[in-house]
Amino acid sequence: MFDLEQSIADWRTQMLAAGIKTPVPLEELEIHLREEIERRTKLELSEQEIFNSAVQKIGRAHMIQNEFKKVEATQEYRNWKLVENLFAVVTSLLSLLLCGMVIFKMGSFSEATSGQQTSSLVGIGAFALLAWGGRLSFRIFPVIRARQIRDAICISGGVLLMLWWMAFVHIILPRHDFTTGQLLVTILWVMIAPCGIFLGLSWGIEAAAQKKVAMTGS
Amino acid sequence: MIRKELVAASAEPLILSLLAKGESYGYAIIQEVKARSDGKLNWTDGMLYPVLHRMEHRGLIKARWAESETGRKRKYYSLKKDGKTAMAKHHEQWSLVHSVLAGLKKEQYV
Repeated sequence: MFDLEQSIADWRTQMLAAGIKTPVPLEELEIHLREEIERRTKLELSEQEIFNSAVQKIGRAHMIQNEFKKVEATQEYRNWKLVENLFAVVTSLLSLLLCGMVIFKMGSFSEATSGQQTSSLVGIGAFALLAWGGRLSFRIFPVIRARQIRDAICISGGVLLMLWWMAFVHIILPRHDFTTGQLLVTILWVMIAPCGIFLGLSWGIEAAAQKKVAMTGS
Repeated sequence: MIRKELVAASAEPLILSLLAKGESYGYAIIQEVKARSDGKLNWTDGMLYPVLHRMEHRGLIKARWAESETGRKRKYYSLKKDGKTAMAKHHEQWSLVHSVLAGLKKEQYV
């Protein structure tokens, strides 16, 4: 004996297994299925035939899911563009702020010699170049489609950077007697420039993946 | 039978144009397209929803859940300002394609 409600429940399970999300859009699709079944009840067909033809008309679960994946990819790309713009503004502003402090000898930089100023500016330049270099040369980065792997690489990079900073502050720095100017130059080269490597690496990997998503997803 | 590429390309302008007449829901949109094309534009029903969701994400349309007169829950879609602009653009482009085709067809009979 054909049980319509059980068949709809089985269809829902198939949709869920294919990756269709609940409540939306699965609920919307189920409402559509029920409307189609209702319309077809006027035809002289058995309940099972009506259900089968309505299911066929709505389409295969994996095909629908593939289309939804494209929508999600487009949305993810839009979010990424916002994050990327924020990234660009922050790295640019940070570089400009540091350059301004060095050039106009603001704060602790007032004690820096002209040689230390030049070295500081080169250090800031290295930071900006490394960060932006990752973004600009994203084509040389491998395309990592799995977000979890990209996140794992970024987090690992962040942890390594933190460990390096901690080692520098707690182990290396106490063994040297720096003047204020020397200390600032050292911080710029040893702490800020590696930060550029981390940002560039993360930016490049994400940009490579997102460009690929944009090309195939839309 | 209309080619699937053309069916896919026409989905957005058709949905926008239908919604310009007033809010509607997935099932009704499909039925109206089918009726207006004498059943020649036959979408795979489930494929409409990713298109609607994409248009919603792009800010062309908005959606709200409401109960129909029969008590069934439905997701109603309506046009947003950007949707109207997109629809005008689609009309302009499709009219251009149509006029070029019509002109070429006319020349064949001269």
